Amino acid sequence: MLLKRFYSITCATALTIGLAMTAGQALAQEKAAAPAMPQAKPTVAKICSNCHQPEAASLRGNFDSVAYKTQSIQIKIDEAVEILRFDKNTLKVANVKPDPENPSEPLREIKKGKEVRIEYTEKDGKKFATLVVAKPPIKVAPEKLMTTADVEKLVAMGDKGKYLLIDARPAPKFMEGAIPTAINIPFPAFEKMAGKLPADKGALIVYYCAGMT
Amino acid sequence: MSPNSAGRAEKLGYTNVKVYHEGLPEWTKRNYTVLSAQFLKEAYIDKDIPNVLIDVRPAAVAQKGFIKGAVALPVAEIAANVAKFPPKDKKPPIVIVDDNGGDDATSAARSLISAGYTSVTIVTGGMNAWKAAAFPVETGTLATNIVYVPKPRPGEIAIDDFKKIAANTPANTLIVDVRNRDEGNAGMIKGAKLVPDEELLDRLAEVPKDKQIITHCSTGVRAEMAYHKLKEKGYNVKFLNAKLDIDKDGNYKIEKP
Repeated sequence: MLLKRFYSITCATALTIGLAMTAGQALAQEKAAAPAMPQAKPTVAKICSNCHQPEAASLRGNFDSVAYKTQSIQIKIDEAVEILRFDKNTLKVANVKPDPENPSEPLREIKKGKEVRIEYTEKDGKKFATLVVAKPPIKVAPEKLMTTADVEKLVAMGDKGKYLLIDARPAPKFMEGAIPTAINIPFPAFEKMAGKLPADKGALIVYYCAGMT
Repeated sequence: MSPNSAGRAEKLGYTNVKVYHEGLPEWTKRNYTVLSAQFLKEAYIDKDIPNVLIDVRPAAVAQKGFIKGAVALPVAEIAANVAKFPPKDKKPPIVIVDDNGGDDATSAARSLISAGYTSVTIVTGGMNAWKAAAFPVETGTLATNIVYVPKPRPGEIAIDDFKKIAANTPANTLIVDVRNRDEGNAGMIKGAKLVPDEELLDRLAEVPKDKQIITHCSTGVRAEMAYHKLKEKGYNVKFLNAKLDIDKDGNYKIEKP
């Protein structure tokens, strides 16, 4: 189960942060009090809650699928699933490069598991998406970037190379396969595992994870 | 999260911190990854995670002790047998084991990467490491056919079960076709009820709560959305996650992508 949850998280972390209940959620719970309904769903996936707080009329989670025929999107917020309708003529999509051959269906270019933010309006208990924003990659200064060829050269040196290659993904992903010579320091465990970093502060340290997510 | 980790390291005073930002997705296009014998056991075998485990040692050696589930394909035969592997767009995790995690495993991995597989992993230390850790081995004849079945998504009905129900729907079961009207008019499975996915929540009264509900559409996407909607409303529901073509007489063709 744990592994499955990490599956869609790619590079990032799974800090457990309690989410403050929004007014909207509280209301939803109150309304639903009569029959035994499931608890109010989270509006921000744990992975996103490292950096983002819950906001009204906004969801953050992992993109799952899109059906243009019914104009619906499915996203996952941790274990919960949210399905939103949309109007393809008015829906705004940001940070997505549409396929030139199919420019009217940009949501098809978002990969399953990609972190997205969705703004929506609610009518009769149904959510209508108005904006879908794919998470942009974190910017890294060019002088700090390494290419695949750079890392290949380091790895080919093996023990003779003076470097520490660190895989920042969650342990279950690291265990499934990692770049040779890498050690695993998941981002949430940074403090706890700081002792694994070299004593020499000038030593070359190379971090990687599951790409520009 | 690698840029964030790099930032933290710099705060600690490290002056030569780099980020391989393209990371694993780019790495695996050209290179293999590695895992330890312990990780193979804990991350795949103990958890029953679908994978393709290839034992590239000579058959006579492998028979004396191999890892459960391993398929025998000696290193020299890999390149000629790429067609035996699952389609690469399914992205099967391929794990390669030789005797010591050396040249044989590397060469097998390179053949598969050239063929376009992007999840090729070598067991560090090979069978020697597996045996040194006293992990269980089997003896006898190894499988020679590669079988790879990705894990079903929650709520997915087995294709064979769906076919049985479609051929003869039991009284306690209802197939709900969630495609739109045009699609439904072009042909439906006998006994199925058409409730387009976008109308589903408004028409719940027409969906009996005391029956097992099976949703389908033409690809599995809308069927899964309908599954989630119904499940949330307390229904006993499953969905067909496959391509489905139905002709005007109700004959159908299922294709699992």
